[in-house]
Amino acid sequence: MNTIVPAIGFGIVTASILAVAGVGFTLQFGVTNILNLAYGDIMTAAAFVAYLVTSAGLSVWLALVAGAAFGSVFSVLLNRCIYTPFVRRGTRLFGMIIVTIAVSLMVQNGLLAIFGASFFSLKMPHPSSVHIAGMVFTTVQLAIIAIAVVAMLLIHLLLRYTKLGKAMRATAADPDLARNCGIATDRVIDLAWAISGALCGLAGVILVMNVTAFTETTGSQFLIPIVAVAVLGGIGQPYGAMLGALVIGITSEVAAAIFNPEYKDVVAFVILVIVLLARPQGILSEVAARKEVAA
Amino acid sequence: MRLAVTALAAALAVLSVAACSSSGGGSSSGGGSSPGGSASGGINPSASTLVVGEFNPFTGPDAAFGPEMVGGCIPAIRVINADGGVLGHPMSCVQEDTRGDPADAVPAAQKMMATETSLVGVLGPSSDEALATVPLLNTGQVPMFVDTGQAAFDHTTDAYFWRITPADDVKGYAMALWAHAAGYTRAAAVFGNDTGAQSDVPTLVSAFTGLGGTIVYNKPLALDQSSYRSEVESILAAHPQVIFTEVDPQTGATFLSELQQLNGLLPVIGTEVSLQAPWLKAVNSAIGAGSMAKYFEGMQPYAPPSGPAWQTYNQALLASGSQVAKPASQWSSDPYSMTYYDAVNVMALAMLAAHSTSPAVFDKDVMAVTEPGSGKTVVTSFAAGKAALAAGKQIQYVGAGGPIVFTKSHNSTGAFEAAKYVNGNLVLVGAVSAAQIAAISK
Repeated sequence: MNTIVPAIGFGIVTASILAVAGVGFTLQFGVTNILNLAYGDIMTAAAFVAYLVTSAGLSVWLALVAGAAFGSVFSVLLNRCIYTPFVRRGTRLFGMIIVTIAVSLMVQNGLLAIFGASFFSLKMPHPSSVHIAGMVFTTVQLAIIAIAVVAMLLIHLLLRYTKLGKAMRATAADPDLARNCGIATDRVIDLAWAISGALCGLAGVILVMNVTAFTETTGSQFLIPIVAVAVLGGIGQPYGAMLGALVIGITSEVAAAIFNPEYKDVVAFVILVIVLLARPQGILSEVAARKEVAA
Repeated sequence: MRLAVTALAAALAVLSVAACSSSGGGSSSGGGSSPGGSASGGINPSASTLVVGEFNPFTGPDAAFGPEMVGGCIPAIRVINADGGVLGHPMSCVQEDTRGDPADAVPAAQKMMATETSLVGVLGPSSDEALATVPLLNTGQVPMFVDTGQAAFDHTTDAYFWRITPADDVKGYAMALWAHAAGYTRAAAVFGNDTGAQSDVPTLVSAFTGLGGTIVYNKPLALDQSSYRSEVESILAAHPQVIFTEVDPQTGATFLSELQQLNGLLPVIGTEVSLQAPWLKAVNSAIGAGSMAKYFEGMQPYAPPSGPAWQTYNQALLASGSQVAKPASQWSSDPYSMTYYDAVNVMALAMLAAHSTSPAVFDKDVMAVTEPGSGKTVVTSFAAGKAALAAGKQIQYVGAGGPIVFTKSHNSTGAFEAAKYVNGNLVLVGAVSAAQIAAISK
């Protein structure tokens, strides 16, 4: 019991990173129908941008902005220059997955060629510890939680209360119908890549703020829990991803405290399987059933 | 769209070239002038170049292994080629990236054996890929000077398997002895869940408990997670005085920084993995130089940077500055780089002793040029060995890493040293002798 309360606190930190990454990932898939397995590598690339910013002596807050901006621009260009041409040629979901894997390898090797095979750290002030209700956080982790809360709030406001959000939800639900209703779906898709890319970049930076040392494969190693969060929440469902992040983040940390930490991911995935057996479309999905997931 | 496809193809081509140049398939003759500046007379211009494969991870979590190997291979072929090569043949080192993954290493081994027609031996494989590739290399009659520490090879009968560096189980004994000497009686074993790290654990646990200590926490750590805070809490709840560890740099940085945040650091005793530059860089950045110097010690095979063999090695290494990972001086006191250097020299001398560059012929002479014996001439360089063999003498090569004494299972082990990382330099703080290890391992 002594270790469970702190573990819940640690789980909230993990969930915060997963939520930012998972919402971006699922939003991207929901609107564009592309399962972008290069997502983790774009996170890494954004982390390297943040590394360059902090290495230049600038603040880590500026590095967060730079990482998000890079993720946004890179994702839009990636879609425009690589993914969209394949989609227009009729490449289906499985083929697109292979294309995204190719992009993943290209980004990883590009980073390796540029930065070399080494480990890097953001230059940040040394964090201090804060005790809250039996849980221990560092100031960096509290910042990560705050960033995640603000990002999720902004996504909520965007999806619920703006025309763009409604257009994105409509495009995600039925792109043909949305187009026939006069929604400029191409523009909506571009903006979806920009917003999800910004979340991707932001997630990459907060991930490496938390792990303290990273290399060209750090983001891709984090991809499996991100996909799990998206699937658990109902793929294409941002709110489901937020909930999925909390479930996966907290259960994996509590499992590590109670059982063998080697199996922390296994416990989280057992829960994922159990939930999906009861609710195959995910916790909150309204969209997944209409997607050609098995295409 | 055509533009996009063309751009994709161009990017793929560029990245393929970048990947090849950075991670695999690259070769180097290590030529140029010799350390002493002598000409490379004696090499037959029409003779094929004998290839030594650097069969190790150059990318992936264990990407640090490869450059360490290059730091030994390149200086060796530099001194060999400067002295006329082997039976008229020049030598070269060729990188073969295993990515630290058997799934990549097996095809890499097959490709290497199929395409390198003048392959005379390999350095490696490491623990990441040894179980999958040692049988392949042995069947292919490729002498291999492995850096795997897996105990599975302690009693191997593979004729082409040679291990100059100590096995992992020996490393466990050394860590236990060092902690016992420091007065620790309660320890946590925090090792990655990879095969290489886990092979250290059984002997560490048996030796430490045999010395009267208690292992209060022993659970494998899943590598490269975003957080280890729950694991840290569990470890702290067990109240260890010291932590034994072998994890990759990213995991080490995350784990130790979180330990520092939650409790303040405890003394940490790592393996040679934690004395490699990427680990030191990552963890030093994460916990700070002061904490690193105060709490951390690493154990590695004892290879003092002194003596005539080491001087030859170091001179050749520093002369090879453009061909090894910079700065070249970082490999000067690296025991693994030294033993790779020795391995290439041993292969070259075995070829001379056998009068053959065929691995099937010279493999048995590896033992002949290294084992001690009455009447043998002790040599500390390729040039001296070549001269002695040409004069009809039997030789014992004593390398930069010290004497090499193979068992009938082709294993050779020695002492261990403990080092601290102070102001960016490794500082020797003590040693565990081969006799101490032999006593506890009985």
